[in-house]
Amino acid sequence: MPHLNKEERSICWKSRDDYWKCLDKAEASKQLDPEKACQDLYQVFASKCPGQWVKHFERKRKFEVFKKRIVEEGFEPIPEEKK
Amino acid sequence: MGRFGMCGRLIFDSLFSQTANRGCIIVPHNAKTQIRLNRLFNTTSLNRNVEPPKMNKPKAKGIITWKTLGITTVVGGGLLAFMLYVKREKELAIARERKRALGKISIGGKFKLKDCKGRIRSSDDFLGQWCLIYFGFTHCPDICPDEIEKMVEIVNKLDKDNKLKVQPIFISVDPERDTPEVVGKYTAEFSPRLLGLTGNRVEIDEVCKAYRVYSSAGPRDQENDYIVDHTIIMYLVNPDGEFVDYFGQNRNVEEIFNSVKIHATKYDRMNNPGWF
Repeated sequence: MPHLNKEERSICWKSRDDYWKCLDKAEASKQLDPEKACQDLYQVFASKCPGQWVKHFERKRKFEVFKKRIVEEGFEPIPEEKK
Repeated sequence: MGRFGMCGRLIFDSLFSQTANRGCIIVPHNAKTQIRLNRLFNTTSLNRNVEPPKMNKPKAKGIITWKTLGITTVVGGGLLAFMLYVKREKELAIARERKRALGKISIGGKFKLKDCKGRIRSSDDFLGQWCLIYFGFTHCPDICPDEIEKMVEIVNKLDKDNKLKVQPIFISVDPERDTPEVVGKYTAEFSPRLLGLTGNRVEIDEVCKAYRVYSSAGPRDQENDYIVDHTIIMYLVNPDGEFVDYFGQNRNVEEIFNSVKIHATKYDRMNNPGWF
């Protein structure tokens, strides 16, 4: 499978950004299932980007969301064992 | 007073008189003695043949004259030049020592790879010019395109602002898929100056080992596609083919641009020592 050229790459990135914007909006409006709400955009995204890239971007998004949550909401430290 | 009176009077005069009262001498009236007396006391005739001592202006024989000032300037300038020369030699010696000490980090080295036309390119081909090397693969989702764009922007900026020609090089860590033709197509989209290099597994492993580049191919999916996890670093190599510095993802265009400029300046100073 040949690699994506510059144009195909930017189309893939655009579809990814659209999908992520939809997810952000859905999460901000506290929807129960954001992924279902943005299903159409996900289909476009999955069609424009290779499977490996979709997986990669999904992992990336999870990490970004996690980072944001840590910064904004803080974190629960692992309880230290009493010595 | 008799004849002896004249001498006695003279002595008397020289001892006691202070004013020009020397004319008061009682002398015997006699032409010869008169002439003799005239000769003795007539100051004008005495001084006829002798030049009066010249009344010169007292010359201020001071220390500071134009001549001494000139000499001091020349000597001082010479000493200053010598001191600057010695200082420069010392700085160069220190820089060389530091470089020798850092050189023991032993990253980098020679490589022999193929360019997009399949021609063999060795690391020796790049001696005499600065190089920025980035390791990646053509099927990279986002990181490699971003880093390569960054590298090309830096190289263009150095070329425009400093007339410093840096050779950007892309080396593939995925020799299975990245053939010379594929790499050529990939790099052409970023810049005509970007040189893409690849090779067989052995050659790529060699250059990755030399530059301490980690790479690991991920699991393959049903389309036989996979992502290669790898070190995301740009390496700066000097015209002697030695590794000088590295830049990670966190450094932006401006920072890397400035860093390369400083390294180039330091290198030029070490190799072309002048007075300034």
